[in-house]
Amino acid sequence: MDGLNAQEQRELQGRMEKKQMKEFMTMYSRLVQRCFDDCVNDFTTKSLQSKEEGCVMKCVDKYLKGSERLGQRFQEQNVAMQSGQLPGR
Amino acid sequence: MSFLFGGRPQLSSAEKIAAAETEVEMVSDMFNRLSQSCTAKCIPPEYREPDLNKGESVCLDRCVSKFFEVNLKVSEKMQGEAAQKGGAGGGGMGGFGM
Repeated sequence: MDGLNAQEQRELQGRMEKKQMKEFMTMYSRLVQRCFDDCVNDFTTKSLQSKEEGCVMKCVDKYLKGSERLGQRFQEQNVAMQSGQLPGR
Repeated sequence: MSFLFGGRPQLSSAEKIAAAETEVEMVSDMFNRLSQSCTAKCIPPEYREPDLNKGESVCLDRCVSKFFEVNLKVSEKMQGEAAQKGGAGGGGMGGFGM
């Protein structure tokens, strides 16, 4: 990302923001699908039962925490890889 | 219209932005794939608690580590094969996915 002048930086910034928005929407719909698939399998009622709703809430919480953790680890590994060392484990 | 004049081998503004964008895109694409794989592999579809439990946390950490390792192995192997075939690959990009 080096070698860009201020105007180019701004252009890139704008594109990144659009991309982030898109990515957020994708993440959201993936989350809906995953929690729906995992929590809702009974169609003898029309609205969510409390058990299903509880499951969905926990599912969302867990998924978001998982994403955060993955993001942190990814960041660390990415930095390590850029500096050319692979952390063996 | 600077391209009409100086035949400079420099990248145009648009090209530079596109290159930077591609770079970011590669990283974010990799993260998305890793994220999908590791979530599917580490978080079982029963949600007993809203927090990650110990096992899930450790699994996610290791999953990221292994994903990177696989990335590296595949990239090394492909580079090795490319080198064997023609040796023409001058641009040694240090690993796919950056």
